[in-house]
Amino acid sequence: MRAATWTGVNEVSVETVPDPTILNDHDVILKVSRTTTCGSDLHLLGGYIPFMRAGDVLGHEFMGEVVEVGRGVRDRRIGDRVVVNSFIACGKCWYCTQELYSLCDNGNPNPGITEALWGQSPGGCFGYSHAMGGWAGSHAEYIRVPYADVGAFVVPEGVSDERALFASDAVSTGWMGADLAGTKPGDVVAVWGAGGVGQMAARAAMLLGAERVYVIDRLPERLAQVREHVGAEAIDYSRTDVLAELREVTGGRGPDVCIEAVGMEAHSLGVQGAYDQVKQQLRLQTDRPSAVREAILACRKGGSVFVLGVYAQMVDKFPLGALMNKGLTVRGAQVHGQRYMPRILDHMARGELTTEHLATHVMPLEDAARGYRVFKDKADGCVRSVFLPNG
Amino acid sequence: MAVPRILDSLRRAATEAGGALLGRLQHVRLPGVGQSSSADDPETAARRWRAVTVLRSPEQIGTGADLPAPLAALGDRVEVRVTPAPGDRGAELAARYRDLPSDDDLRALRSALREAKQLIEVGEVLRVDPAPHGTRKATPQGAVLEGATARAGGEGVL
Repeated sequence: MRAATWTGVNEVSVETVPDPTILNDHDVILKVSRTTTCGSDLHLLGGYIPFMRAGDVLGHEFMGEVVEVGRGVRDRRIGDRVVVNSFIACGKCWYCTQELYSLCDNGNPNPGITEALWGQSPGGCFGYSHAMGGWAGSHAEYIRVPYADVGAFVVPEGVSDERALFASDAVSTGWMGADLAGTKPGDVVAVWGAGGVGQMAARAAMLLGAERVYVIDRLPERLAQVREHVGAEAIDYSRTDVLAELREVTGGRGPDVCIEAVGMEAHSLGVQGAYDQVKQQLRLQTDRPSAVREAILACRKGGSVFVLGVYAQMVDKFPLGALMNKGLTVRGAQVHGQRYMPRILDHMARGELTTEHLATHVMPLEDAARGYRVFKDKADGCVRSVFLPNG
Repeated sequence: MAVPRILDSLRRAATEAGGALLGRLQHVRLPGVGQSSSADDPETAARRWRAVTVLRSPEQIGTGADLPAPLAALGDRVEVRVTPAPGDRGAELAARYRDLPSDDDLRALRSALREAKQLIEVGEVLRVDPAPHGTRKATPQGAVLEGATARAGGEGVL
């Protein structure tokens, strides 16, 4: 089959690779209909997560048709149109029973790497390096989906592929951030990052009852999407003092909930931006945390900060004093998508969650290198590149 | 020696180094890395109980030859302890060698505990290989990562 692979730092190729096969009883094989780039892929592409091997198949946000089922699969059938969560979870361990699916004990076959780095191993993720299990990604004609009864969800008839695709990760990640940060009716919520995840975090916050939602970015086309498709307020940090703006619009309190959806390659202005770039390039810090810093400083006393952006290891100049003295709750997670996807698909079916606008660049899988280039450069108004592996 | 054989030897050395590197990573004592607070000497560390928590009652874990096969295969060399976990978290399945184990022994025990947990909770051991992939360029970094990955099921802090 054809697949888009990582072949070196900032290099993507499309090559012929072996077809996947069923290896465990709970597997299905999926014929991939749509698969999309994600901002967190850029950390892999750029070599910031040094556990990729040349030839690894990229992609973790996808949907398709079930074409083969393992003998232990109970609920999925050949022909099902499903959207699959990006994290691989068994559904049986204690973490899964607590609906903390991305922390599954049984989803990462390479726990030695992540245990050594972080003390414990989270679950596995499709197409996200050997640290996260070495699972082949979804930018391919076919993909093997382990624990398919747990992670693959049938798409309701009234929901198009174009919409359902983003339930896989962007919406479920955003929803998780808004939910686990404790968003409740009447809250003011600020979201850093107007990519797919940030926009969907904002939309989820609105559906959870937030009274006002602000999304912070610098790219005009993304800020326009926030206004037009999400219905939230947009703040351009390249033209506005974000902390002052948020104080002003919240009566001096600061947002009740701050959601960071940027990650380890955060762009920032001035001295902070230069400082973080230099320290990261010298490997004196692994990640650039400017959005997290700002979220902590912006948040109201006793408020909640959720870190949705992907980070690898260590950061510098972390405002621990503000966190402690303001009594903040800080939480983060990879996506516990299985917890939210049924509800998300219902919202999609009712037209309350629309995602089609995120797919600004739709193209054949053969164009994956171009798709990643335009996505990485944020060129031509690109928010997400979507590949169609089977036409 | 022909150039391809030299390159092959170097690749094997890099792969071996990757596995060894992962094995040593858990002993790193740098602030912010997994195990920075550990003060055990190597012998004490090797003799510790290694444990996984399994979401089953202790009675469902089995004993002796009834333990899941990967653990039972270690036979009398290991002693096994099963105790209830607090807070309805199931059972704590712990094991340690009766004698002083080698690094290979410890890798075998970690793998056995993880596989035993999967067999009890899920009914099968999750496999990732063979995973579809494209051309693997023969680079030193790739060889190091291959070695680390090959041992990753038996390494870690367990």
